[in-house]
Formats: sequence, structure tokens, C-alpha cells
Amino acid sequence: MSERPEKAIVASELRRAYTTTKGVFRKKHITVEAVKGISFDVDHGELFGLLGPNGAGKTTTIKMLTTLLIPTSGTAKVLGFDIVKDVMNIRRRIGIIFGGERGLYYRVSGRENLRYFADLYGVPISKRDKRISDLLDMVGLADRADHRVEGYSRGMKQRLHIAKGLINDPQLIFMDEPTIGLDPEAARETRAMIKGLVEKGKTILLTTHYMFEADELCQRIGVISSGNIVALDSPSELKRFVKDITVVEVEAFGVADTDLAVLRRQPDVTTVNADLEGERQTVRIQTPKGSEFIPVVTKLLSKAKILDVRIKEPTLEDAYLKLVA
Amino acid sequence: MTKYQTFWASFRMSMLNFFVDPQWIIPNIIAPFIYTAVALMFFGNVSSSLALYAVLGGGMMGMWGNTLYGAGFALAQERWTGTLEYVLGTPSRLVWIVAGRSSSSALLGLVNALAVLLVALIGYGAQLGIANPLAFLLALVLTLASLSALGVVFCSAFLLTRSAQVMTNGLEMPIYVASGSMFPIALLPFWSQPMALALGPTWGIDAMRYAAYTTYTGMTGFGYWFNILVLFLSTIIYLTIGFGLFIVVERKVRRDATLEEY
Amino acid sequence: MASRLADWPPARIFVSSANFAFKALFSWLRPEMWLVQLLVMPLFEMAFFVYLATFVSPTITSIPFIAVGNAMQVSASASIFAVCNLTSEEKWQGTLIPLIATPANRFPLFLGRAVYQIFNGMATITVGFFYAKYVFGVDMSRADFLALAVVILITCLAMTGFGLMLGSLGLFLRTAMIIANIFLFIGLLVCGVNFPVTDLPVWLQPFSYAIPMTYGTMAARAAVQGANLMMLTPVLLQEIATGIGSILVGYALFIGFEILARKRGTLEEF
Repeated sequence: MSERPEKAIVASELRRAYTTTKGVFRKKHITVEAVKGISFDVDHGELFGLLGPNGAGKTTTIKMLTTLLIPTSGTAKVLGFDIVKDVMNIRRRIGIIFGGERGLYYRVSGRENLRYFADLYGVPISKRDKRISDLLDMVGLADRADHRVEGYSRGMKQRLHIAKGLINDPQLIFMDEPTIGLDPEAARETRAMIKGLVEKGKTILLTTHYMFEADELCQRIGVISSGNIVALDSPSELKRFVKDITVVEVEAFGVADTDLAVLRRQPDVTTVNADLEGERQTVRIQTPKGSEFIPVVTKLLSKAKILDVRIKEPTLEDAYLKLVA
Repeated sequence: MTKYQTFWASFRMSMLNFFVDPQWIIPNIIAPFIYTAVALMFFGNVSSSLALYAVLGGGMMGMWGNTLYGAGFALAQERWTGTLEYVLGTPSRLVWIVAGRSSSSALLGLVNALAVLLVALIGYGAQLGIANPLAFLLALVLTLASLSALGVVFCSAFLLTRSAQVMTNGLEMPIYVASGSMFPIALLPFWSQPMALALGPTWGIDAMRYAAYTTYTGMTGFGYWFNILVLFLSTIIYLTIGFGLFIVVERKVRRDATLEEY
Repeated sequence: MASRLADWPPARIFVSSANFAFKALFSWLRPEMWLVQLLVMPLFEMAFFVYLATFVSPTITSIPFIAVGNAMQVSASASIFAVCNLTSEEKWQGTLIPLIATPANRFPLFLGRAVYQIFNGMATITVGFFYAKYVFGVDMSRADFLALAVVILITCLAMTGFGLMLGSLGLFLRTAMIIANIFLFIGLLVCGVNFPVTDLPVWLQPFSYAIPMTYGTMAARAAVQGANLMMLTPVLLQEIATGIGSILVGYALFIGFEILARKRGTLEEF
């Protein structure tokens, strides 16, 4: 491929089914379709997000695109190469960052981990050591590079994952839940690093179930639910999807599940989302009625103690809830 | 990435992991060590040549044991640490990664020979002399190569059958018996001898004995160089088979999504 | 009476523990793996030493000696290896803490888990004797089979106790796997399996007599040659004593470990 393909990623009707077995002696085969026909494309230099709850099919999709899984049906091209037939060409050019606790060799140092993968990616030996040092500097691990990974904190391991994912200087980087399990500061640093990569011209596809993260980082978002893409647009456009909806946010004390059920049954209520854990409970009610709905709410929640009622602009989270409901 | 870069990276990583925690080789070499100790008891008054025989045999069994273990668990270990999908996602061919690991395991199996050597030297005060050191070294290196290549075949077979542990446990004992490490394969039932002869390392240990003893008649009587030829060819054949099998393995792993299963 | 026994806490713990271990085992142990362990390994382990002896013609032993000794020794994978790894498996899975948190009496708890391995060991030895007779030509025409059966039962019980002790030791030293591997094979050398204990260096022999299998191999050989239970009683009593001794030491180690680990907070390290 001498010329650059038009799109970085083109996915067409990707499907992936899994078969699992139940039982020990008399095995029953169950087929589950994790991805049910996903189509989308990603431009060069774009930061594209796949947003969805756990089990929606994000990880399966990313694994298909990174050539780790063969789709049951459908096709996709990554950087112009077919994900089933042109595997090596893709692998040379992409970076994979799945994050988490696993995926690193614990008993050796961070530098050794990077060196190993540098070799497996065929980084020329003349460039290898310098690139490793540069990456370690970039992710802030230079002073702990020669310590064993088993002594790294969660955040440090994540940073090492990022360095590892960039070891072959990829054009296109796939990230699966890059900030999951990180403390807020580490997560913020990671997001800053991601933005930095896009500024350098890299293309990034990331999956996340954090709404605010998708909102902050992504230029376009594909919302996945139960193996299908239910919406694909920029964050602002997705928010417009709920533009005629306002959110009545109630902070209260003593709200029960039965109250929520009653709320949901109201004719003007689109969705009710509540966080009833903890001392201060938050109930978010999507309704086109806006402030007119406030008296209704106060009456229905009369048994609880209401601390505050606000009208909020719909966020991406509200759009998302409406889409995946 | 050339296959050499991949092979060397995998070999190196495997060695690094060993040196970080060397005690974990014990499970793989304790059996050959004890077996050799029993053999030394059987030998009775241990002359130098018998002690050498025991060291060679014990070393060979140790190499077998550790290679089988390394090959059988090479990718299983990658699964447990979660690194398998990353390794699979690189543009390096899996076969060379496994070959590196297998070679490292085979080489480390020599630790067993060292342990037996120490026992022979200290316990029996034996003085071991090898008649033709260069020929011995050649035979040893080629045996390691053949063993490593065979480990690659085993690894792919284990992956395709999904019962690595069964196979590793199940193969270890028959191979100690059939490899001719401690006693000639001529003692075995005639129907099992072709299987023994199909294993390159069986010729290897025979070649090493040719080089070690001046008066060795050998397994087949065809002489040292014939053994060397068979060793060399076996390595090529095993690698070719392993290469083909791994293409199947890679595709299967991607199709069946078995990357993360334990 | 039976229902009252069932309510007696130690008995309940024992049975429940055994039941659970059995189910847990078969959830990951596939039938083929168990069959390999049962049928393949004993055959080849015995074959190795028989062929070696055929090659070397050693003065200190004979083929029937080796075949019977190894037929007994094949139970090691069950009584030593599997049992020794019981507690380290718990540790590895992280279930040791919840287990210790229960008020259940430790003794029947761990004894219950080992029960399955006693039966497993007996089955393996039976297969071993089958090979001894039909593959390696051991003459069993004079054998006292009742006595032999009792020897097998007592040996498996005693060796399982020994395995429990090793398991406790392994907890202490944090290397149960390595201890299990070492003791899986060491019997071949020191328990009179392949040659009499008296042929070992003198300083090694006391070690042999601390392991129940040493008495087991002696008794088994005698039973094969026609000794009856009366004649075997002294040896069997010694074996029982060693077994009970092991269990007591193992139990003490385990309680000691628990106290120490709680003091130091090292219950989860492995």
C-alpha cells in the first residue's frame, strides 16, 4: 500500500458469536452473540470513542480490529489492510493498550518489558534503546524503569502499558478502558497523555464506560449497547439528542426504590436514574416538562427529606441513558 | 522483525524469568535427579565410566523434563500473566517465540546434569573424562537444537488439544523410558522402538556417548556421524512441522477466542 | 445413632469437607487427566526401573523387588503430591483466610479434604499390582491378598497423613510445590522401593524410617510372598505409628502457622 488509505478504520457489519459450555459431564453448548453487526469508520488523526456499559461488546470489537479475534461475519479494514487476511501488516502499524493489572511480566523490570516487546515488534536495534528511554521519560517512569514490575503501583503499571503500546511508534492506537481502576490524578494524567498523542497526529480508538471521559476526549463517539451501535456522532450532537429533555435533579435523603418506581410510572417521565447509596441521594429525572415537573416531584417524594432540586442541562450521560435504555 | 530478533528476545526473557527465581526449576529436574541417584545405586561400585553414563543419562532426562515443562506451559504461563494477547498481537510469529522459550528450557535442563555431576564427583569421587570433547560438544549442541524444535511441536500440539497439563504429565514418564537416556532402547518391546527412534534426542544421547567413550558400539552401529546427520535432519523436520502447526494454532486461537481462558 | 453422628460438628465438617473437595476436584480435573495419572504413569514409572535393572543387573535388588516396591510407590502422586498441595491451593485461590475465619475445627476440615486422595491412592496401587503381575511377571501365586489389601489401606492412610504434614510444612516455608515435588520422588530412593533401605548410606537411613512407605514396601513384599496379617502386625504397627506421628506433627505445624500468620499478617503471601 503506497498511498494512504482514506480512512484509518472501516468496519462493516462485524459480528462475533461465542460458544460456551455448561455443565461437567453432559455439556450443553450455548451461543452468545457479543457483537451483532457493527459498522463505523474512523478518520486519520481522529480520537474516536466507543462508549457503552460492561458487556456491550466494546472489548470484543476492539479485539477484532486488532486482529486478536476473527469475526464470525463481516469485514473490516485497518489502515487499509483486511483484519483477517493482512494480519501482519496491521500488527506492525498499530499499538494496543488494554491496561489493567495483567499483561506485564512481573518478575522483570519495566525496561526489560519494553525491550522484549520492542524486539517482538521488530524495532531496529539501533533505535531500540533510545526509544525505550524516550518513552520511559514520556510516561514518567525513568527513575523506576529498572525495578521489577511487581513493585509498581497501579498507576505505574498503566503508564508502562502506555509506553509498551507506543513501542513501535504506531500510527493508530487502540485503547481499551485506559483509565479504569486508576485514581483521579493518574486518570487525569492518562487523559492528558492521550490528548498529547492526538496532537502529534496519531489516530486513536478508545473504549470507555465513563461518560465524562468520552465527552472530554473524543471527537466522535459510537454508543454501543448489547452488541449494536445505537448512535454515532460528536458529543455535542449526541447531547442534542436529548435537547428537548430537561433533567430535574433532586438531592434527597430517605428515597426508597418504591418511590423511584412511582416516578417512573409518571406520564411525562422519560427516564429516572438514581444513586441511592450513601447519605446524600441523587435522583435524576428526564422529562420534557422541566420546571413544571418540580411540584410533581416534591409531592411524590413527600415521604423523603428533599435537600435540593435543580434543573440541569442534559449531559452526555443522559443521552447515553436514553440510548441504552 | 527478523526471526532471529524474535527468537533471541524470547530466549532472553525466558532466561531472565528463570534467574529471577531459580528455585522453580526444581520440580522439573527432581525426577531425573532421583532416577539417576537410583541408577547410581544400581550400578554398585561406580567406576568412572559408569558415573559418566549416569551423568549423561541424568542430564538428558533433565533436558527432556524441563523442555516438556517449558513447552507445555510456555503459552499457558502467558495466559496466566495476561501477556498472551499482547504477544499474539505483535507482528512476530508465535513459532519463533515458542522456539526461544523451548530452547531456553532445554538449555536450563542441563542444570540437572550439573546436579548429577556434583553428586558423582562428591559422592563417588568419580573422575569423569570425555574421550573427544569437540565431538561431544557438537553432539550436545545439536541435541539441544533437536530437543528445542521438538518442544515447539509439543507446544503447538498441546495448544490444539487444550490439555497441556495432561500431555506434559503423561509424556514425561514414557519419554524417560523410551529416550534411551538411561538404558538402551534395544531393551524395549520391538513395537515401541520406531517411536523411540523418531525422537531426535534419542540419537543425540547416543552420539554423546560415542564421543565420550572410545569403545562405544552405539544404538544402531552406524556410527557417530550418522547420528549427527539424523539429529540435524530431525531439527529441520520438527521446525517445519512446528511452523505449520503454529499457523493452525494462531488461527484457531483467534477464531475460538481461547486467549484468556485458563 | 447415624443422625446423631451426622450432627456431631467434627463429623459434619469432615463429610462436608470431603464432599466439597471431591466436587471441586472434578470441576477442573478432566477425566482424561485422572486416567493418565491412574493408568499411564504407574506403568512407565515401574517400567523405567525394571528396564534399568534389566540393563544393569544390580546385585542389591531384583525385578520382583522393584516391581512390588514401585507398585506401592505409585500412590505418591495422590497421597503426597495432591495432599501436600491442598493447603497451598487454598492459599493461591485466596480461600485460606475465609476458611480460617470459620469456627470449624481444623482437624476434620483438612482430614476431610484428604479422604478422596486415600481412595485415589488405593486405586492407583491396585493398578500398579495389576501391572506387576501381568506386565512384569511378578509371581503372586502365594500372596495373601487379604493381608496385601490391609497393607495397601494402611499405607495409603499413613502416607496421606505424611502428605498432610508436608502440606503444613509447605505453608510454613511457603514452598509447598517444591516440597511436594521433592517428596513425590524421594520415596523411590529412600523407602526401600527399588532396593533395601539397608543399602543406603547409614546417615540416610533414619530418614527412611520416618516415612510410612518404608514399612509399606516391606509389608507388601512379605504379603506377596505369603505372609499373613499376624506376621505383618509388627511392621504395620510401626507404619501406623509413623502415620499418626506425621498427622500430629502436621496438625501442630498448621496451628502454629495459623497463629504465626495472624500475628505477622502473612496469611496471603505465597
